[in-house]
Amino acid sequence: MPRDRPHQERIVSTYCYQCVAGPDLLTVRVQDGIATEINPNFSAAAIHPGGGKACVKAFGLVQKAYSPNRVLYPMKRTNPKKGRSEEPGFKRISWDEALDLIAAKLNAVRAAGLTDDTGYPRVAASFGGGGTPTAYMGTLPAFLSAWGPVDMSFGSGQGVKCTHSEHLYGEFWHRAFTVSPDTPLCEYLVSFGANVEASGGVCGVKRHADARKRGMKRVQIEPHLSVTGACSAEWIPIKPKTDVAFLFAMIHVLLHEQPRVRLDLPFLKNHTSSPYLIGPGGFFLRDPQTQKPLIIDAASGQAVPFDTKDIAPALEGVFTVDGIEVGADQEVTAHRAATVSPAFAHLVAHVKDYSPEWASAICDVAASTIRRIANEFLDHARVGETIEIEGMTLPYRPVSIALGKTVNNGWGGFECCWARTLIPCLVGALEVPGGTLGTAVRLNRPADNRWASVKPGPDGFMDYPMNPTSKDDWISRPSVRSAHRTLVPLVANSAWSQALGPTHLAWMMQNEDFEKLPHALPPDVWFVYRTNPAISFWDTKSIGETIARFPFTVCFTLTRDETNHMADVLLPDCSDLEGLQLLRIGGTKYMEQFWDYQGFALRDPAVPPPGEAKDFTWIATELARRSGLLEKYNAAVNNGAHGVRLSGPNYDFSLDLGKAHDVEAVWNATCRAASAEITDGVESQGLDWFREHGFRVKPFPRLMWYLYPKLIEQGLRFELPYQEHLLRVGKELERRLHEQGIHWWDKQLAEYEALPHWRDLGALWENALAKHFSVQIADYPFWLVTSRSMQYSWGGNVGIQLIKEVAENVAGHGRIVMNRAAAEKLGIGDDDLAEVRSPLNRTKGRVALCEGIRPDTLLIIGQFDHWVTPFAKDFGAPSMNSLVPMLLDLTDATGSSADLVKVKITRLEGAP
Amino acid sequence: MTRWVTIADLERCVGCQTCTVACRHANATSPAVQWRKVLDIEAGSYPNVSRTFVPVGCQHCADPPCMHVCPTTATRQRADGIVTIDYELCIGCAYCEVACPYQARFLEHTPHFAYGGAAMPNEIERADMSRMGVAQKCTYCSDRIDFGIENGVAPGIDARATPACVNSCIADALHFGDIENPDSNVSRLLREQRHFRMHEEIGTEPSFYYVYGRADEMPVAPSDPVFASSMGAGELRTRGVEPSLQKHWDWKAAGNFVCGGAGIGLFAFTALASFWQSSLAAPGWIAMALVAAGLLLLLFKIGRPWRSLYVMLQPRRSWMTREAWVAAVFFPLGALAIWFASPALMLAAAVTGLLFLFCQAMILRAAKGIPAWRIPAVVPLIIVTGIAEGSGLFLAATALMQAPLAAVVAVAAVILAVLRFWTWRSYLAALANEGAPTRMFAVFDAFKPWFFLIGLALPAALIAFGFFSASATTAAFALAGLCIAFTGSALKLILVTRASFNQGFALEHTPVRGSGLAGPAVKPGWSTIKA
Repeated sequence: MPRDRPHQERIVSTYCYQCVAGPDLLTVRVQDGIATEINPNFSAAAIHPGGGKACVKAFGLVQKAYSPNRVLYPMKRTNPKKGRSEEPGFKRISWDEALDLIAAKLNAVRAAGLTDDTGYPRVAASFGGGGTPTAYMGTLPAFLSAWGPVDMSFGSGQGVKCTHSEHLYGEFWHRAFTVSPDTPLCEYLVSFGANVEASGGVCGVKRHADARKRGMKRVQIEPHLSVTGACSAEWIPIKPKTDVAFLFAMIHVLLHEQPRVRLDLPFLKNHTSSPYLIGPGGFFLRDPQTQKPLIIDAASGQAVPFDTKDIAPALEGVFTVDGIEVGADQEVTAHRAATVSPAFAHLVAHVKDYSPEWASAICDVAASTIRRIANEFLDHARVGETIEIEGMTLPYRPVSIALGKTVNNGWGGFECCWARTLIPCLVGALEVPGGTLGTAVRLNRPADNRWASVKPGPDGFMDYPMNPTSKDDWISRPSVRSAHRTLVPLVANSAWSQALGPTHLAWMMQNEDFEKLPHALPPDVWFVYRTNPAISFWDTKSIGETIARFPFTVCFTLTRDETNHMADVLLPDCSDLEGLQLLRIGGTKYMEQFWDYQGFALRDPAVPPPGEAKDFTWIATELARRSGLLEKYNAAVNNGAHGVRLSGPNYDFSLDLGKAHDVEAVWNATCRAASAEITDGVESQGLDWFREHGFRVKPFPRLMWYLYPKLIEQGLRFELPYQEHLLRVGKELERRLHEQGIHWWDKQLAEYEALPHWRDLGALWENALAKHFSVQIADYPFWLVTSRSMQYSWGGNVGIQLIKEVAENVAGHGRIVMNRAAAEKLGIGDDDLAEVRSPLNRTKGRVALCEGIRPDTLLIIGQFDHWVTPFAKDFGAPSMNSLVPMLLDLTDATGSSADLVKVKITRLEGAP
Repeated sequence: MTRWVTIADLERCVGCQTCTVACRHANATSPAVQWRKVLDIEAGSYPNVSRTFVPVGCQHCADPPCMHVCPTTATRQRADGIVTIDYELCIGCAYCEVACPYQARFLEHTPHFAYGGAAMPNEIERADMSRMGVAQKCTYCSDRIDFGIENGVAPGIDARATPACVNSCIADALHFGDIENPDSNVSRLLREQRHFRMHEEIGTEPSFYYVYGRADEMPVAPSDPVFASSMGAGELRTRGVEPSLQKHWDWKAAGNFVCGGAGIGLFAFTALASFWQSSLAAPGWIAMALVAAGLLLLLFKIGRPWRSLYVMLQPRRSWMTREAWVAAVFFPLGALAIWFASPALMLAAAVTGLLFLFCQAMILRAAKGIPAWRIPAVVPLIIVTGIAEGSGLFLAATALMQAPLAAVVAVAAVILAVLRFWTWRSYLAALANEGAPTRMFAVFDAFKPWFFLIGLALPAALIAFGFFSASATTAAFALAGLCIAFTGSALKLILVTRASFNQGFALEHTPVRGSGLAGPAVKPGWSTIKA
């Protein structure tokens, strides 16, 4: 029976970090001890770029907490056989039994050696998208740090589902793990499939809505009319994976059809490598004494080192100069009276043939449209104008280019990233107000401060922690199963590097040996948290079969799913509304997160966990205690492995190393340290204070949104347009690999170009599929693409009724989206049941016909095909993940590929 | 005076559905009961396509048809314009739901839970059984507004006094405030921005405004009906947008119109005939039983049958109440007339019955949410159809009784069948002229030949045949009468249950998105666009 009024009511502050666009600060209404409502946190309205609002996914948290499908107790597998068709026979056990079981395995691993005979870690762990699980896993990072080597290269979507090329090249060129327009000031944005309205979260949506009301023109270039396309001033339906040609043609227009004076020549001369002379061998021509790259001083006509003061660098011209080139492995070639030109001149010549007319035939977009977009971009660039930010006068260039998934991962990602970063350079719009900015660093260090990650490197550029390719230092024996540091110099060696390597290789190596690499055994122990690679990766059938061969899998579990179907132990952890954690917020980060504040927010449990679900910090502490790592674990906590260092210059809240601390004690100390950190040690309020206030921040300078001031301060240049460094690294890598006898990575080595060339990516895909599956690719006439859904993406919320209910209000969810005219030709009607088949596999679902998609393209939103996950397994929704093969031929040099495959579609039955 | 309005800025809205879930949370509505939701409307043909996200829900109309039709006074309007529902008075007749042109009302007969059978703790905590079997809809979060007024904080400005959907909107697309205050946030916005209200032509004066571009910039692409209508249903992704068949009034509701019309018609003929022939008690009782059966069917349909007498509470506005009151006079009067075999009383009862029939016609006419019902031409159609059915039944009765009157009745029946057909044609012409859902026309078009054949041609032929062939007169007249009655019933059944497409949703303009022109009108699934 209903109650008249709640007896007791309280409001609890917490956050939602189910996706990389978080955290959203929010409040939970708790009535009679029951969480009933999610609301925005209006007390954060002034400090949060999204006004303290929470996105649609956050509202699913109440159902997530109370789902009848929760796993409530630790479970042990009783059926030793694993596989899709094997019933696991999970049996309830006590926490003691579960933890002892895991600890016994861990202790056995430790006794046998942390790495196996091949050097690969015996313990592996996979976590969900974009690092978001760290916002929920309490002190588990401290446990992992205490443990030692852990293989985190079994991807669960990384590389496949992220903007991978942008992550690597973005960090390389402008400390931009993720790239964003400076939306609040931008006036013209060319967006190649960037679906910010679906994946930009609260901040992205708010900033872009404000920008539209300001009159910002966004041109959306993508094969289907996405939510973002819908909200754009113009939609240009481009043929899939031909964005490179469009971008190259834009460069052509700027360099060959517009007078030079319209470009930002001072920016090019002083803040890029444009004036650097290129030697006959393709490397910078250098001063023989200092080995500094040479540039021509137009005033004197002399070649001088790039950092010579008071010169007028020449961008174009042919010069006769003496100098040396430093090639691969520091090989020096001396030149006398070499005929050379600056990098900029090479660029101009390089794009000469990439005209809009050339691109038009490739992209299926009118040349006049491409030309118009390029010219509109230039018209809006305001070259020469300035703006004052916090007392500093900076260039004002309100134009930007955004790239979406599939555009900037896999083959072509490098070219697109290069072009989208170069074009802003041509008008001086990189890392300045209104232009193209980076948001976060994840490969460089420190991870929480982009400015601090800017350090002088060779040749006047920022230093970059490239993995070694020299003969002495190249890592010939991979440390983890994806061989990320061996194969991908750009992926660096931060805590994030494993996740950003060629993570599908780790899976592929479980099924096939890669010549000259050690045979990869399965990990002895595999931890899985907030991820479901059996659904979220490519070729999900094969992934599922591989997971079934892992000998001991521990899954932290809210509900049953396709990955934990193969688990040996299920550990029920607190849901988002039940666990305790303090999270760093603010600054700049990921998707459009540009704050004017930085600090901390508390995830305060709104309700107790059901059954025997436990807080993650308790689980981590118990794992550490039972595996004999307590001291190391506590030390890692004290060092801030969980997010906040517990001591500083004038404060110390470190934990006693020898004791197992309870959850509140850990986070109370953390809160106190956070208070002290934010107030320079003046204040030290703990958990109670955060429970009352929810969050604590201090101002974050807006100037730090932009990297330009930091480069000016250090006299550094952006490493564009000419990729001499990458060219050298590529050649060295080629030598190392060949010396080792590895030739299967040769295709990837072709990506290391100083100036990228056009390659027919469509044909590349088609040829790879035809070759590997021995099919006539003409039998697969459609491109299948995917698109993010704000309701589902990253959330792990596919089992939540409310999310499904409202996702259905957005067209295309759970269906195969198809152009009406194309469907009519095949006799397919709206709502018909159809099968989509790729050379690898097939999926089926109902068809949604629309006009907003190219006739040669099909779209399947999100990731489904569940067969265990309660509720979701009854959706009958199609999923492209089972259709996309893991192929080396489709893997680019950064180790990623794209959600793209050729398919055919067949009608199975008519609409019900 | 205060009048609360909501503004949805179509340039800002991204269709994320955060307002939908926020409303579901704030009001603890059941799964799929979305007082607020956002439509996803595609228009145009590849590659010139637009896609617009359109928040919809109760528009809190200044002249709310739901309130006018509500027979129980459960639906009312506050002085500040908010349209309310008293769950304790509502009988769940769903009349308001067919009267609402915005599909804003919901009726749930039994509790529904997110995961089927068992309720989750939050669902148990907030279960509200008073909402079962009654109409429910957006309240504009009136409790928050009242809180604001009581505590001196401004609705639409202070989150505590602002509807949950507006509070939650991550694009700042939704705004709420007092339009009567020229300095309010909403008044300012409406001065600065071009805007429209949905279905303004229906005249309900909604308090929900759609902003689609800046007032001081850019001309607007003409809402050329030709261009707009060229975006026909065949070229649109219109699931949930174009008119859909109303599901609230089913065959039981139709049964009231079928039985009521036929019963009243039969009674009227019986009354007229009673001046010439006595012993017509049987058709009289049958007529009244028919009317009663129709009303009885409604008892099985409404959500709260035990409250059915509340239907009498709103004679000032609701034709359903008036129908009930007229029925309350008709039954005793009719019974007395038959009992005493008094032609005068019979005539008085018949006149009351015709009033009943008029009420039924007006019930449909007042349902502004259904284009096939709301046009004036529905009134003569329902009345003439009722009388024609009565003539058919009476013809069958007199033929079977071999009453001498049968021949006269047969002639009258044919005349009425012709009149009915003419009224029907006029009705269709009026619909075509007015514009209506294309799928509705498809339903009528499929019925048209049968209606002509069985409703007019066949009975006319049978009657003619009956006049010429004495031996077959009884059978021919009876069959002709039944044909006339049957086709009338079928017409009403179709009208109520199969042609009753709702208004659907429409846009006067698609919005500007940062730059460029506002687009033309979008009205999917309609035969024409009426300015």
